[in-house]
Amino acid sequence: MLPANADDGDLYLEYSSSESLALEEGRVKHVSASTHQGIGARVIKGEASGHAYTDSLEADALMQAARSARSIAGHGGASSPVHIHAASTAPRLYQAVNPAANIDFSERKAMLEKLDKLARDLDPRVRQVFANISSSFSDIHIVRMDGAHIHDARPLVRLNISVVVEENGKRETGSAGGGGRFSIERLLSGDEPAHMVHEAVRLATLNLSAHQAPAGSMPVVLGPGWPGILLHEAIGHGLEGDFNRKGSSVFADKMGKQVAARGITVVDDGTIAERRGSLTVDDEGTQSNRTVLIEDGILTGYLLDRQNARLMGMQPTGNGRRESYAHPVLPRMTNTFMLAGNDSPDDILASLDRGIYAVNFGGGQVDITSGKFVFTTSEAYYVENGVIQYPVKGATLIGSGHEVLQKVSMIGNDLALDPGVGTCGKGGQSVPVGVGLPTIRIDQLIVGGTEA
Amino acid sequence: MSTQISTLPDRHFAEQLVEAAIKAGAAHADALSISETGDSVSVRNGVVESVEREDARGMGLRAFVETSCGMAFATASTSDLSTAGLHKLAEQVIAMARISEPDPDAVPPVGANHPTEAELDAWQQRHNHDDSGWSLEQATAAALECEQIALAYSDQISNSEGADASFGSNRVLYASSDGFSAAYNRCSASLSASVIAGSGDGMQRDYAWHRALHASKLRSPATIATEAARRAVQRLNPGSMDSGETTVIFEPRTATSLLGHLISAINGRAILQQRSFLTDALQHGIFPDTVCIDDDPDHPLGLGNRLFDGEGTRCRRNRLIDNGVLQHFLSDRYTAKRLGQPETGSASRGLTGDIGIGSSNLIWHGGSLSQEQILKQIGNGLLVTELIGFGVNGVTGDYSRGAGGFLIENGEIVRPVQGITIAGNLKQMFARISHVGSDLTWFGSTAIPSIAIEGLTVAGQ
Repeated sequence: MLPANADDGDLYLEYSSSESLALEEGRVKHVSASTHQGIGARVIKGEASGHAYTDSLEADALMQAARSARSIAGHGGASSPVHIHAASTAPRLYQAVNPAANIDFSERKAMLEKLDKLARDLDPRVRQVFANISSSFSDIHIVRMDGAHIHDARPLVRLNISVVVEENGKRETGSAGGGGRFSIERLLSGDEPAHMVHEAVRLATLNLSAHQAPAGSMPVVLGPGWPGILLHEAIGHGLEGDFNRKGSSVFADKMGKQVAARGITVVDDGTIAERRGSLTVDDEGTQSNRTVLIEDGILTGYLLDRQNARLMGMQPTGNGRRESYAHPVLPRMTNTFMLAGNDSPDDILASLDRGIYAVNFGGGQVDITSGKFVFTTSEAYYVENGVIQYPVKGATLIGSGHEVLQKVSMIGNDLALDPGVGTCGKGGQSVPVGVGLPTIRIDQLIVGGTEA
Repeated sequence: MSTQISTLPDRHFAEQLVEAAIKAGAAHADALSISETGDSVSVRNGVVESVEREDARGMGLRAFVETSCGMAFATASTSDLSTAGLHKLAEQVIAMARISEPDPDAVPPVGANHPTEAELDAWQQRHNHDDSGWSLEQATAAALECEQIALAYSDQISNSEGADASFGSNRVLYASSDGFSAAYNRCSASLSASVIAGSGDGMQRDYAWHRALHASKLRSPATIATEAARRAVQRLNPGSMDSGETTVIFEPRTATSLLGHLISAINGRAILQQRSFLTDALQHGIFPDTVCIDDDPDHPLGLGNRLFDGEGTRCRRNRLIDNGVLQHFLSDRYTAKRLGQPETGSASRGLTGDIGIGSSNLIWHGGSLSQEQILKQIGNGLLVTELIGFGVNGVTGDYSRGAGGFLIENGEIVRPVQGITIAGNLKQMFARISHVGSDLTWFGSTAIPSIAIEGLTVAGQ
């Protein structure tokens, strides 16, 4: 089926099922499930690739997909038959079990109702509660051009809580969530679900008393954990292999150069057991890796799939990912974080004369060519003389990816990873990712409030 | 590689799905099936970089069951369209509906305002879309021409992110247990280009795109190429600007986001959930009285045309904003009942998940002034050509987004600006619209002119 003159190619077979229960207005009234199966065929030659997929497992559809994919390689003769063989497998980072297998709907429903009641009992200002338990399980077979057959089975679960509070006609919202590559039972066990409810209610009520955020250039202290979205937007995307091979990233000519302050080390690590962004193997069957992107301020690594690695004369790093069989492979992040430094978080906050202390964020975005990136606060405080003054409304922070890490002057000893809530979008594809950060001080960033 | 819609299942397939649900124990059910084929080609530096072909199909089922405390429902979907897959789906959805909480206001597909057979036939006559007008060869030629013109636009164009051309069609089948079933086809073709100007830390990238119902209605490769390259070059050597209050002119491309924020805020479900800053705004003047906005399901240029919505409800033209006054919340049957409002035919439905609410074609009616005339009248301000980030709070209307564009002084474009934010509150921003341009521009299912808003805060150096 594969043309002999192709450089690479694979078949990607996927069977995935997902379930979701959602509570709103006190009722679990949104129950849904979906099942997807299909095959993606890829043929790669030089810088070119052909990709075709079908949801139909009938022979005609499969042959049509194969013909479409191979058209990219021109009129090479057919390759000789290959022996399909199981490739040596990487140690599994998560259990190959459907996370919904051992828990029935009624238990999930009961949990959602309990969390709804908890939120309403916590604060009489709570008007609306939204709670959602979702799970998915993807069974994946990759058969490479050389006959190597790689299997992965990926569980993914998530719990989300969001509340609306109202006081004197003023409404605000707060949300919290978490999850990873483990079972629903584990997601719902322990104190974590209740903790998420407390967080959502705390954030919503905090925002009721938020002041307008300042507008302009000022120092910013980022708290640990999810604020690591800074790294994802500011440098992570800019270090993806495709953009660098094509010269469209602002980091394209910066390998070996200083792109961050000394003391800063940033890694992309897909090998952490059971984390949302982790992968036993990537979607090309490459074992996932811990890739050092920046070491002591120097740019040391790119994130690579097989095609970009070959074209750049480098090794694939286990970052070739696709949302499903229906999407092409792109170099993507897994869990991206900065290693801890030596400063105490208290000292870092105390150093802030007049600025913003940002603890929690919503989403972010980057233009990898100009390097401009944004991320938006969901919990932030105005600080004067090292002391928190008051919470401020959500504000977008904007900076340049190739400059912002040069302005980091203090690095905390409190590295934390996010609770398992990240989803990254690129080229119309969404994949689960993780981020992490210790408390850091950035000497200058633009804060997009309304108080100029 | 033409698409093969004629071989795809007809509406009886959706009817069979509904029957299977009734047999499995549903009191009522409705079903949706979507089949989609498409081709896309990307070229870069004069050669084909990738070709992709999709062949997707799936079916979704919503089933209602009677309980002692009212009607409960669930939804499920699968891409396995075999007879076995169909029965498995029906059994799964019934099992899920039985654990779902009954809702006294649940609206099963009974007594819906469905279109008649005659209306279905008439629609089919007028919207006879079964070919997007391109072969893979023609699409490839268009993409190559587009990229070549963009690269040749100026010496300052230094690199290409490539040009993409795609075309495809889909077929949607719908059936409900009250005896309604229908099918329609949709096609589209699109062309885009993205190029880079400048080098090193000074690189700037921009793009242009167009999507139309048929390849023959696309803007020419030269038009798209020239727009992408001109935009990239104009962005070179940007500066910052002073923080402070200013008037912001959103060109049509960035103004579409304002329309998006409005639609999220008048979504009937957001209103029920009190997740909107416009909860109490029905029949209130939320814009200046020059603003009129339509949700129009039948427009010759719209990619959002539809005769009926995701519940089989006949769509109609909704004047959402009439002389500044909010006339409707968008609703499906459930939210219309809960809000005590007329149905707007806005149920939107994909294969997975629950029924949502969405608009068809959105048209923000143009004013009388060109963008140039607006700049002259404003004198000083910021022309926004790029927005990034997600800094919009739908509950409060608080707005803070990354922006780029051009500084306006004495009515003239002075220089490019980047790395700034603009902030305000959508409720105030809507009320402070000072100018609506005459440059109505279509983007898929949205048509909008330039919009000027007074009193936003810029944060810069």
